[in-house]
Amino acid sequence: MTAELNDKAKASLGKFTRRQVLELDTCAHCALCTENCPAYHESRDPLHAPGVRSAVAVKLYDKKHNFLTRLFGNTEITEEDVERLSESAYHCTLCGRCMESCPFGFQTHELWCRVREIVADLGGTPQNVVRLGNMLEESMNPYGMDPDERLDWVDYTGLDEVPEKEQAEVAYFVGCTTAFKGANHDVAFSIASILDEVEEDWTVLGEDEWCCGNPSLLSGDEHTAREYALHNVEALESRGVKKVITGCAGCYRVFRFEYPKLLGREPNFEILHAVEYLRDLLASGRLKLEATDEKVIYHDPCELSRLGGVIEAPREALSHMTEEPLEFEDHGINVKCCGGGGLLQAVDNEMRLDIVTERLTEAKEKGADVLVSACPACKLAFTDGVRERGVKIEVLDLLELAAKRLGAL
Amino acid sequence: MNVVTMNSLLQFIYAFSVEKLPYITVIVTLIGVALRVMRWRSSPPDHEKIRLDPVESVKYVILDVVLFRKTWRTDKVMWLALFLFHGSVAGIVFGHLRGFHVWSIHMFEAFGHAFAEFMVHTLPIYVGYVFIVTQVYFLARRLMLENKQLTSMPNDYVALVLLLLKSVAGQGMRLVPPEGVPATLYNVVFIPRFVVLHLETIPNSHWFHVHIILTQLFIMYVPFSKFIHMFTGVITPAIYGSRRKMIDR
Repeated sequence: MTAELNDKAKASLGKFTRRQVLELDTCAHCALCTENCPAYHESRDPLHAPGVRSAVAVKLYDKKHNFLTRLFGNTEITEEDVERLSESAYHCTLCGRCMESCPFGFQTHELWCRVREIVADLGGTPQNVVRLGNMLEESMNPYGMDPDERLDWVDYTGLDEVPEKEQAEVAYFVGCTTAFKGANHDVAFSIASILDEVEEDWTVLGEDEWCCGNPSLLSGDEHTAREYALHNVEALESRGVKKVITGCAGCYRVFRFEYPKLLGREPNFEILHAVEYLRDLLASGRLKLEATDEKVIYHDPCELSRLGGVIEAPREALSHMTEEPLEFEDHGINVKCCGGGGLLQAVDNEMRLDIVTERLTEAKEKGADVLVSACPACKLAFTDGVRERGVKIEVLDLLELAAKRLGAL
Repeated sequence: MNVVTMNSLLQFIYAFSVEKLPYITVIVTLIGVALRVMRWRSSPPDHEKIRLDPVESVKYVILDVVLFRKTWRTDKVMWLALFLFHGSVAGIVFGHLRGFHVWSIHMFEAFGHAFAEFMVHTLPIYVGYVFIVTQVYFLARRLMLENKQLTSMPNDYVALVLLLLKSVAGQGMRLVPPEGVPATLYNVVFIPRFVVLHLETIPNSHWFHVHIILTQLFIMYVPFSKFIHMFTGVITPAIYGSRRKMIDR
């Protein structure tokens, strides 16, 4: 067993790319990332600190790839080593906040995804994440739901119908967490209502929509993610779609940054997050909304802001709906994660709820009546936090707020 | 001043430290650099080709490496320590260049003799103290956070301790007058007639030789240690700056 593990380990650890090895070698273990890490902040377990993860990873890398260690040191990797790496890698929301606090600008989101890939190669992936992967393989979504239930939100929300066309200008990529999680059905309803309101030539993919592949990438399964990328891009391109709109920050990031890497080419359509689309509609005057006098605070989804680069668009859209939107202390590129990312829910839901409770409490302290975000995973985390931890605040997606101001919701 | 006679062992060690050790230092350092480069070269290239944007890269290097912007956001005390530490490094490196005749005290004479004396003899002592105090802070901080917020590797400590010892020895040179051993002229010939280090009138103080031995050990250790960030720490923010430009809409 150990010999087999060590054989695998050499090849697997060799997957760290040139830049990633440079980053691991440069890491001074200064711990400046630690206090900014939402996972460490809650658990106070050093193994959950990003800098410690870097130290654990480079020690294993050195065992197989360092000339001097191979000559004079201990080169054996044990199952305990893999467990330690797994414990560290999965107690992470992959929010990338360590990247923004690292004085050397390490691209930690990619680095930690690579660590998870190595953990997967060495059989250390947590059981719940393995189950999630199995469900993905069976049903093309991480919730194990039948693909033909993908449009059930249409019935649940009372929408008459959604277009499933052969050809369309715009496609609405709903995303699994919006399509299958009841808390997010109104987000899909809101986006559909806005698309109808401006008489867009739009379509959904229905059963032909597969998971974007984000959960696979976050659990180190690039192979499956590539398969989904191929399918989704083919499904969208065959419909002649020029613009793909999604309300999911994870889908958005994967479409924009991961698909070109997975496919080796840029898809033949533009990808927009729904908040960018909404901002454009409001700025051009195609859509007009009535402002609310409620106090609204906006939470930046990590995958949309820090990792996706969309920071101003939601604020510009919000400025049409409320006069003085509130801001969290840590926002924009420095946003503190809600706890909903990185598959943390599958591994340590208590930690996820602890992280989200802190965010909810801050929103209350700022005097907000409504907490809005632009990501179904954030909304799910916030609604779970409200339910489980009893923080009283209304939680909405920014598109839901827009639909409300439009009178559609 | 008492003239101290060195015993033969010390004489051998001191001559070795300035005549032979530099060759070993250069060889070991080059081997270390070669091993590092081989380690990076043997790793697979990245999927994503990031086109370096010179403006963004330089901007990030200035903000994050020169001004320590991210550290400022996170920990103001650490920012101050880092700023003073790196500032004193720059000052000390500049000061050492006088020993290699890159500049002389006359450069400051234009501003008056007192100013020149201050710049050459007084200021370096204060800079040396700052350098040492900041290193003690780094070491103490690491010890305090060990197994709480960070897990150090042995080389994190070796590098810090080696740097601290060599700095203390360097400061000792300034604070403790030479023992009065007559100065010696050493030549270190790397490439005959081309790269020759003329270590003229070497101050034969113990502090000097301890300093020069530790400094050479430090230089040899750089490519094997976390001090490699002196070089790579400029590359990673430059890449990140270009990447951000690509991401941000």
